[in-house]
Amino acid sequence: MNSHKPDAVTLRAAIESFAFHGDSRPALQGVDIVAAPGTLTAVLGGSGSGKSTLGRLLGGWLAGGRDGTLKGRLQLEPGGQQEAWQPLVFAGADTDPQIDPAAWAEQVGYVPQDPAAMLSAVRATVEEELAFGLENRGTERAEMVRIVAEAARRTGLAGLLERDPATLSGGELRRLAVGCAIVADPAVLVLDEPLASLDVDGTRTVTELVTAELARGTAVVLLSQSTDALARSAEHWLVLDGGAATAAGPPDRLLAGEELASSGVVVSEPSGPHPVQAQPRPCPAPGDVPALKLEGVSFGFDTKNPGRPLLLENVDLDVWPGEIVAVTGPNGAGKSTLLRLFNGLLKPLRGEVRIGGEAIAGVPTGIIARRLGLLFQHPHDQLFERTVLREVLFGLDRVFGDEAPGRAADALAAVGLGAAGSAHPHELSGSGQRLLALATVLAREPEVLALDEPTVALDAHGLKRLSATMTAAAGRGAAVVLVTHDLAFARAHAHRLVELRDGVLAGR
Amino acid sequence: MAPRLNPLTTLTAAAAVLVITTAASSWAVSLTVAGGAALLAGVTGTARRVLLAAGVILAPFWLSLLLMHGLFFPEGRTVLASWGPARITAEGLGFAVDMGLRTSAFVLVLLLFSFSVRVPELVAALAVLRLPPQFGYVLASTLMLAPIIAARLEKVRQAQESRGLVVGKGIGNRLGAARLQMVPLVLGLVHDAGIRAQALDARGFRRTGPRTTYTQVRDSRAQRGFRILAVLLAVAAVAVRIAASLPGGGQA
Repeated sequence: MNSHKPDAVTLRAAIESFAFHGDSRPALQGVDIVAAPGTLTAVLGGSGSGKSTLGRLLGGWLAGGRDGTLKGRLQLEPGGQQEAWQPLVFAGADTDPQIDPAAWAEQVGYVPQDPAAMLSAVRATVEEELAFGLENRGTERAEMVRIVAEAARRTGLAGLLERDPATLSGGELRRLAVGCAIVADPAVLVLDEPLASLDVDGTRTVTELVTAELARGTAVVLLSQSTDALARSAEHWLVLDGGAATAAGPPDRLLAGEELASSGVVVSEPSGPHPVQAQPRPCPAPGDVPALKLEGVSFGFDTKNPGRPLLLENVDLDVWPGEIVAVTGPNGAGKSTLLRLFNGLLKPLRGEVRIGGEAIAGVPTGIIARRLGLLFQHPHDQLFERTVLREVLFGLDRVFGDEAPGRAADALAAVGLGAAGSAHPHELSGSGQRLLALATVLAREPEVLALDEPTVALDAHGLKRLSATMTAAAGRGAAVVLVTHDLAFARAHAHRLVELRDGVLAGR
Repeated sequence: MAPRLNPLTTLTAAAAVLVITTAASSWAVSLTVAGGAALLAGVTGTARRVLLAAGVILAPFWLSLLLMHGLFFPEGRTVLASWGPARITAEGLGFAVDMGLRTSAFVLVLLLFSFSVRVPELVAALAVLRLPPQFGYVLASTLMLAPIIAARLEKVRQAQESRGLVVGKGIGNRLGAARLQMVPLVLGLVHDAGIRAQALDARGFRRTGPRTTYTQVRDSRAQRGFRILAVLLAVAAVAVRIAASLPGGGQA
């Protein structure tokens, strides 16, 4: 990331087909894309459309031969007076060219959908992680310090340089992954769902970064399942469905067509996403006892450091049976931490958490789990079994006995994974993994549902499933607490919005 | 072990202490080194982690030593008690205690080093010595393996507890929970490693050209002097030990 413009490069990809080893059906088929300097191209598609596979191929993370059978061609075309590079032609044969991922990444920076996948895992601070790629390129230290500071400024991480990457929130981690890609100053930038989990400030930061990169002549490819404001600023859209390109052209033309809706892309208004609209429902009347009650709850991680303020300070919250409450707030405010206090994974320093009127202090999380279901922010952290069905069945027999298999099948059917029982959870798309994690929570029919960023990675079909299951759970009397940055979804579904900021929870 | 020290200084100190302990071959020296390491762990705030990990490693080791050498030591002459072929001898117990203390000193010193060193600084310091970066990464990932496994295990445990797994306090309960966690742990680590390999490749980790380091490691003339002195002391200890074991060189 130098002050001068990167050398203009056009990325041309013509993927005839790409199939992972062992798969009979290609993951991608007949996909052509051209990313020209200074242009934004949005690849739109729903769950399992092949977007991330395309992104990893373009970024050199997937290689023909090593990871699957690739037929087609990839070409980096330098602009100006530079000598042209030969296109890489793949025929699915042993003699196909081999891409050097490091050399490729100097031209094409790729940010994966799961930002944690970008990290080296051997660097203890954000600034060291940002510098990792520069160290490997032999960049002089003074130059590295300048580039790291600049990347941190542009990704809004300047205040977090000393932090351990493992302690970052989801949104902060995504900005770090973007930072790791831009330090190499690539001529082409491929971003897979770069706005997922970001708060308003984070969204603005990344959007400004993309705008600045375009102005510098970088070719940007955006992979998204939503026609959000960033996607709408693209000159060209490519719609993927089932691994194939079903439409391509300017946004205005595609917005008027049918392909977007059928592909599962979330079609949102320019001002922000407006996914599935729920029918406005009256707020349930408070009963005798709240389903979930927080009374004066305070919490902090580094309590030995007297200078560090508490993450949560004197938080009060009542959620009644049948009520849906959305918790919003900036990245790193402690929203995920708040949910982990509900089921005892974290213990409050002060105050009390009550479920159905009973204090949970001293009760093991495994017992609380019968009454409160927690959907983790990252499905990867929640899924641990070998098959989708085993995942939902885990621990279910202790609640429902012989009825457990039936309950598991119902929960999977409710999220649209009824036919995927024997698949490995890691084989599912990002949307599928989140819906599976949701099924593991729904199957237990808890009194309280605590959902951490449930809309992230969901396509339009997935959002419909989430909307229906969440509304049904509230309808049977479950209290739902939903942490989200998707204000439109929150407004459409929640009876009440509360904001967590600077340790304080306030109604809005 | 203070963060101001160059990791090469602490590494050299740890290695020299271990060489001298081995050369001295004395239970008193081993005990002093082990005690000193435990004390330093207390001073640096790593006592809990160091002692816990040392306990896990050393408890079965001590048990096997006492069983093997305490009960079955062929050279044992002073019999303290006997049951058939098994006999407790003073020489056997002495050997077991000597070996146990020496191993305890090794384990405590190495654990103290690995828990107190800042791994990126160690990698940076090794890079200054022009060691291959892959060596640095392997060393770093080895030293960080325990925290990575612990973090992954914690995630699996949280996921399972959130779905009704109750981990009781008894050893049977804990073993049962551990059995449930092992397969997800290993599969999760393998999956993470596969993804990480792609990221490392793209971020130029396998490049063969020159590299630089971002982390600046403090060093000083005093520390360089200390490292030379530590190496000389270790060499001297080995030399004295060899000289003492030569015929006519005194008691081995």
